[in-house]
Amino acid sequence: MISAARIPVFALALAAALPLPRPLAAQGVLVAPHAVFIDHQSRSGSILLYNPNTEPAEVTVSTTYGYPVTDSAGRMLLNVVDAPDSTAPSAAGWVQAFPRRVTVGPLERQTIRLLATPPAGLPDGEYWARLVIAARGGSVPVEGVPDSTAIQVGLTLEVRTVIALLYRKGAVETGVRLSNLRAAVSGDSLEVRGRLERRGNAAFVGSVWGTLVDAAGRSRAEFTAPLAVYYDLEPRFTAPVERLEPGRYWLRLRVAPEREDLSPKVLLPAPPVSDSVEVTVP
Amino acid sequence: MRTALLVFVGLALVAAPLSGQGRPLQVRGVRSLSFGLLLPGIPTSTARTDPALSGELEIRGERNLEVVVTFGLPSAMTGPGGAVLPLAFAANDAGYSGQQSIGSQTAFDPRLPFRAVLSRNGRGSIYLGGTALPGNGQRAGTYTAQITLTVAYTSP
Repeated sequence: MISAARIPVFALALAAALPLPRPLAAQGVLVAPHAVFIDHQSRSGSILLYNPNTEPAEVTVSTTYGYPVTDSAGRMLLNVVDAPDSTAPSAAGWVQAFPRRVTVGPLERQTIRLLATPPAGLPDGEYWARLVIAARGGSVPVEGVPDSTAIQVGLTLEVRTVIALLYRKGAVETGVRLSNLRAAVSGDSLEVRGRLERRGNAAFVGSVWGTLVDAAGRSRAEFTAPLAVYYDLEPRFTAPVERLEPGRYWLRLRVAPEREDLSPKVLLPAPPVSDSVEVTVP
Repeated sequence: MRTALLVFVGLALVAAPLSGQGRPLQVRGVRSLSFGLLLPGIPTSTARTDPALSGELEIRGERNLEVVVTFGLPSAMTGPGGAVLPLAFAANDAGYSGQQSIGSQTAFDPRLPFRAVLSRNGRGSIYLGGTALPGNGQRAGTYTAQITLTVAYTSP
């Protein structure tokens, strides 16, 4: 049991240490770009780190193998495979970062070089890895009385940014097949599911657009989302919808290799696909 | 007087795009998770809807951007002589709001990955609550722990 005398010491010391919630001090680093594309000719790339904070940041860069998947509810997850088998198109084992560990000073930049050393005889295709940029800032400054009897608290935060790395060798092609489209209006939301299967030997990177139209052809709900199909996905999309009169509506879905946030130079061409499904509002 | 137990701290995370590309991804700490006055032997919880004590992280980026957010949460803070101050996070302790409204959150379990989709203006906020469990004999001293936040971009 704690002594009666120590209880107020505990409470008061904590109170002195951090009297009020305060704004958070920035501790992460900036990482650019948010996806790395490397071709077999150059076999190299880079990312830029920037520390916008007033404390140094310890940064480590590593690679792993993973790709986005969907769960049974259509939620997007990142499937990380620590030990991919030999059939997996993994570049994680032969892409290295230099330096792998670095301290980035306050307001300083650091370029991380990426060097690929693929095995001899690597077949044409696209190979994937995830870059994990882990940044740890300094300890939370502990305030209060410099008293050995005080209780002080402080936490460090490690921020891991995980971005895609796609390595392309030779002829690569992609495409996507859309099937099993279904949609429903539930309350004030439109919910859409569909199955997307990648074609070719490279990930399909693009966007999806959905529109709910009424019998007069008027749009009643819309959504758009970035999309990357590495294998098969069955994502769930939602969009807010105003109160709809009972009746028949149509959900139109289009998937195309177009992105606002990526240079067209890194997008592989593929034929757009589209489908539609009737939605009945009782 | 209130006591604040800091549970996560600020960050700024940006995955900026290539030249000619869209808005960069930024994750920024707004407010620490706090517990107010802590007393030995008295568990103290903070709700994710508490506008003063809940933790808040802001994400900015491309509109409709989708990321998977994963917390690595400590079960305790470590103090002097190996003393521990336990922390607990439950299934309803985190929330997400594309409108950045603490009163309009979608609850999620901070112990599990969460898919966050930014709003049409490219913003969203994550809120975090939790419980501090100081023991009856909690020792004085400095208690520390680390939280890991993983933000994974899933497209591509």
